Amino acid sequence: MSKDHFLEIRGLKKYFDADRPSLRFASREMRHVHAVDGVDLSLQHSEVIALVGESGCGKSTLALLLMGLEESTAGTISFEGRDITHLKEHERKGLRRKIQMVFQDPYESLNPTQNIEEIINEPLLVHGIGKNKQDRDQRVKKALEDSGLKPADVYLQRFPHELSGGQRQRVVIAAALVLEPEILLADEPVSMLDVSIRAEIINLLAELRITRKIAVIFITHDLGSVGFFADRVAVMYLGRIVEIGTMLEVLEKPQHPYTKALLSVIPVPNPRLRRERIILQGETPNPIDVPTGCRFHPRCPVAMWTCKASDPPFTTLSKTHQAACLLLVK
Amino acid sequence: MTPPLQHGTFPLQRWRMLLKRFGWALFTILFVVVLNFFLFRVLPGDPARQGIRDPRLTPETIQAIRVRFGLDKPIINCFESLNPVKVGSCGVNPLDTQFFIYVKNLLKGDLGQSFYYNRPVKDILGERLWNTILLIGAGQILAILIGVVFGLFAAWKARTAIDYAALISGLVAWSLPTFWLAIILLFWGTNHGLPIGGKATPGMSSYPFMQQMGDLLQHLFLPTLAYTIIYMGEYMLIMRSSLLDVLAEDYILAAKAKGLSAFQILKDHALKNSMLPLVTLIAINLGFTVGGAVQIETVFSWPGLGGAIFEAVGRKDYPLLQGGFLLIAISVILANFIADLTYSYLDPRVQAD
Amino acid sequence: MNLTPIVNKTNSQVSVFWKSLRRNPMGLVGLAMLIAILAVAVFAPLIAPVHTAEITSKDIYNAPNSTHWLGTDDAGNDVLANFILGSRVSLIVGFFAAFISIVIGGLIGIIAGFYGGRVENTLMRITDIMLVIPDLPLMVVIIALTKPSLFNIIFVIGIFGWTTTARVVRSQTLAVKSRKFVLRARAIGAGNMHIIRHHILPLVLPILVVQAVLTVSSAILNESTLSFLGLGDPTAPSWGQMLNFAFSRGAMSTGAWWALVVPGFGIVWVVLGLTLFGQGLEQVLNPRLDTHHLMPGRPVVQSETAQLPSSEKILLDVRNLSINYINDDKAPARAVENVSFTLKEGELIGLVGESGCGKTTLMLALLRLLPAAGQIVNGKVFFNGKDLTALNEDEINAVRWKEISIVFQGAMNALNPVRTVGDQIAEAIIKHMPGFPHDLRLQERVVELLELVGIAADHKDHYPHQYSGGMRQRAMIAMALACNPQVIIADEPTTALDVMIQAQILELLDSLRKKLGLAIIFVTHDLGVVAEMCDHVLVMYGGVTAEYADVDTIYNEARHPYTQELLKAFPDLTKPKKKLSSIPGYPPRLDALPAGCRFAPRCPRVYARCHTEQPILYKLSDNHIASCHLLEASK
Repeated sequence: MSKDHFLEIRGLKKYFDADRPSLRFASREMRHVHAVDGVDLSLQHSEVIALVGESGCGKSTLALLLMGLEESTAGTISFEGRDITHLKEHERKGLRRKIQMVFQDPYESLNPTQNIEEIINEPLLVHGIGKNKQDRDQRVKKALEDSGLKPADVYLQRFPHELSGGQRQRVVIAAALVLEPEILLADEPVSMLDVSIRAEIINLLAELRITRKIAVIFITHDLGSVGFFADRVAVMYLGRIVEIGTMLEVLEKPQHPYTKALLSVIPVPNPRLRRERIILQGETPNPIDVPTGCRFHPRCPVAMWTCKASDPPFTTLSKTHQAACLLLVK
Repeated sequence: MTPPLQHGTFPLQRWRMLLKRFGWALFTILFVVVLNFFLFRVLPGDPARQGIRDPRLTPETIQAIRVRFGLDKPIINCFESLNPVKVGSCGVNPLDTQFFIYVKNLLKGDLGQSFYYNRPVKDILGERLWNTILLIGAGQILAILIGVVFGLFAAWKARTAIDYAALISGLVAWSLPTFWLAIILLFWGTNHGLPIGGKATPGMSSYPFMQQMGDLLQHLFLPTLAYTIIYMGEYMLIMRSSLLDVLAEDYILAAKAKGLSAFQILKDHALKNSMLPLVTLIAINLGFTVGGAVQIETVFSWPGLGGAIFEAVGRKDYPLLQGGFLLIAISVILANFIADLTYSYLDPRVQAD
Repeated sequence: MNLTPIVNKTNSQVSVFWKSLRRNPMGLVGLAMLIAILAVAVFAPLIAPVHTAEITSKDIYNAPNSTHWLGTDDAGNDVLANFILGSRVSLIVGFFAAFISIVIGGLIGIIAGFYGGRVENTLMRITDIMLVIPDLPLMVVIIALTKPSLFNIIFVIGIFGWTTTARVVRSQTLAVKSRKFVLRARAIGAGNMHIIRHHILPLVLPILVVQAVLTVSSAILNESTLSFLGLGDPTAPSWGQMLNFAFSRGAMSTGAWWALVVPGFGIVWVVLGLTLFGQGLEQVLNPRLDTHHLMPGRPVVQSETAQLPSSEKILLDVRNLSINYINDDKAPARAVENVSFTLKEGELIGLVGESGCGKTTLMLALLRLLPAAGQIVNGKVFFNGKDLTALNEDEINAVRWKEISIVFQGAMNALNPVRTVGDQIAEAIIKHMPGFPHDLRLQERVVELLELVGIAADHKDHYPHQYSGGMRQRAMIAMALACNPQVIIADEPTTALDVMIQAQILELLDSLRKKLGLAIIFVTHDLGVVAEMCDHVLVMYGGVTAEYADVDTIYNEARHPYTQELLKAFPDLTKPKKKLSSIPGYPPRLDALPAGCRFAPRCPRVYARCHTEQPILYKLSDNHIASCHLLEASK
């Protein structure tokens, strides 16, 4: 294991039971939702990786697995060389300081009965950080100001409902930053926000990786929003990564037909640039009955008959760029 | 993760659900049977000792009665008696205990002999069950109808005088003690020539059928009115608030955008949806409404199950009390089962479980 | 834990709570009734009239008179004195029994809701059994088998009164638990106890308080019922017992109404007080919208007369439309001000703006579907030369859906959950095409519409919850097409959908427009979405027109700073390394609009005049208008 790879995911799987146990008397085998179905991924210090895919592709489940909020079915996650796949809650506590998460909906992820100070102070109390109240106050203020809520004093006594969506998302980020994490998982942090606000949250995350050297896993369904600050982009489909590469490789030379389609449908605010769009028909199949062979073949515009039969391996296109498509296998 | 779509499995799920609900109702009945048995043996007023405490009885007679009622047998397996707890020999044949004799008799429909009437409890309760069903049935239907209609108007005309009047009267009706309302109505009724109680005027049975029915309706009027007023308020309040929620939904705006009139929207889009919480409430409430029937029957001397329970308490007629409670509980459980099924019929979103 | 901010917090929350309770007449009346009866109970020995005279048979059932203000009872005792003393028993039983119920119910509810799984199943099964077993007969049985003492009564009422609380608390706990902030607390590393204490309890507590108030009232009712049935504690006469004695000892036959009315009045007073207070609390703690879609709208007001539309080809001509939201306490919120645009046959116009800028209000106003507080305060909406603002309810109903239909934003909420999709499509046809045969042809037409939007015929009889998000939006479009309208308003039809589904829906709308010659108003907050298919774009900000032009002008020669900034905030795929620029600050709230230009607080090119004076609309070319002071010179 290279020393650089401080977060390593190997063959990670998460299956949920599709049938409730109480309904099984019509007896057939328990079916599973293949939410995450064999993901390999590594992350380096202060690297930003974007995880892109449609809803149901397993990207949010992957985040919960990394946070230890869901128990994985198979595979390993190791952090700084230590296997953290199946830790007990008390063993995980120290780790939680280092891996933090920002959730999608800023309206739902703040407790309406706590004021901003309590919200940001809470992680410190849970982990017993800070020598005294003064020390904690300073940490709280620093986290707030680093998240762009300046001056912090104005916000401390306010309640979430008094803030706008963008400000709330900054509070959520501050509550994660106060623990001084090394990895930040951001699960669709801007999808609930207006376009004019999105840019500033993305800019904030981009700044943090520079000022605080935080590695960011940025989960989104919108390939368009990852361009400016992601180092690498991983595209997920039905529980698997189908293409991974540096940002420029994926955005400018996409190889997997799914990536190409995703890229082609991103709205571009320029009517003179009417492009050919590849619109996939139908919807992501449900992850209970995963298609045979290449799981993308039923919707793939360039599928061949062999795609039905064999599951494509990753083809290495460059040192950093890989994609899983039979068309790339030479 | 959103649950996967499952098409075409609906009827099967329905059957499963039906079975499951039914099994659950059976289990609850079993629980009530057990509870009913032990309650009467654990609590201090042991019916056996109460019933045969008459000083005129000789010890031989007492023993004879004990044998006749099976009271000489241990309660269940290791326990001679539960109050005070007395452990006996555990080698008893489990089928030869009071509990299993009780269950066996129950299965045969034998609820024992009333101390007071000296008749089978089954016969007494059998007559009275129908009277109670008549009263509760009439009262519930009226309460639901009036509650739904008033609640509908109140919500539709929200924040107008109609709404406030309905709200206030609903809250007041909800706050009335049932027995007190019954007393007040009885007081009023006796001053206005209505019968003072019972189910029929004495000697009525020799009159023609139509006249008998008229007499019955006269006797039924005040108890039903009391029952209706008490439960109407709650149904109206629930209907109002649930309709207010429904009418604020987007699909009502969509229906309005479709050009439907207010009446069409209420009829086709709001009524069924807002009835759902009401059906739940009715199901949940059944247990409580029987309590109301006890009070009303007591005040109006209506010969129903509730009145039977009240009388049995006064007369220390434990077999009747025990049987009455069991019958009421089982009726409520079955009615609740039916309400459950109605709900699942009304709401297509209800799936198995 | 440091205490200062918490004290502050409770202070502020309590004061907010007080403020809203003060405006709640129901809660206040209830509270006053409770305080009155509590005072009576507390000071009972002091205020109860004392009669030392010996009681003779002449004192039985005396009507109210100057010595006995409320008459006497069956034993010749003063009814008023008994009433006052009886209040203590009722209240004591009520409060203590309710306390037992609330503790049991609260614990069961929170444990079941929070831990879920087997624990929840078991606990809720027990609750269900308790609910189904008729409680009054059971209480009667138990008290009949034990000694009727005050303690037993409290205990029995308490032990059977927790089921509702358990159910309510459980469902609230479940709701709170599923909220993201609990997941976030777990991600922080908080344990179960911490989460229950800091995140579950504070949000369950308000409901528990309301439930406690209601439980007290039902406990008091239960106590009085048991006492009335003769199962009360003979040493502690309560109101129920007074009624028991009066009823069973001849008050009815002697016509002694006072002996029956007075104690009952006490029970009603307390229970009504508690109910009113509980309802008031509920309204304060859990405020709900007090308006709905069937409340009568406000009449249209016109302050100036506009001339009739000129061009024949124009389908929809919106002129100087202004809409206010009327609020009883505050000045009206000017949600839309002076907006004009036109829509030609087959044209697609994009209406772009951030959330809260008045786009949806504007669209609802076109069909006069504004909520009860909304009012058109000026302007006209000409549709085929007919002024929609001047129509009465029946006339506008004929236009709705038949001529102009709407694809709503959240299709899940805009479809009735208890009716099949096909049924809801057919409904529109039945309403607007009275000649249409109600038989197989209607079903064929529904299938035809579904297939037009790409839904297979066998989904016709399915319910909305069996559809996926994308399918629901398609079904919504099929429904909008049902009566062959000329105009479709698509209100954010793709928000909350995945990019690929979004692309599918956009493509569908565009192809339908070409195939059926529809005119579409496409409302969105995303400039990118409309760029590829619109003819004209109207950019709104804070309820006013920022800029209105053909699509090419908007994207390439925008003149309003807001449009320019909005375009810059867009990630440009052709230049992936480019840093995104963002617009600082947030859109104004409609009830607190800035005095001058509404964009002034966020505008990068703001100057003094912008803060004081609202810019007018400058016509830059035939097809281009914008409202910015900077354009005055360039006009």
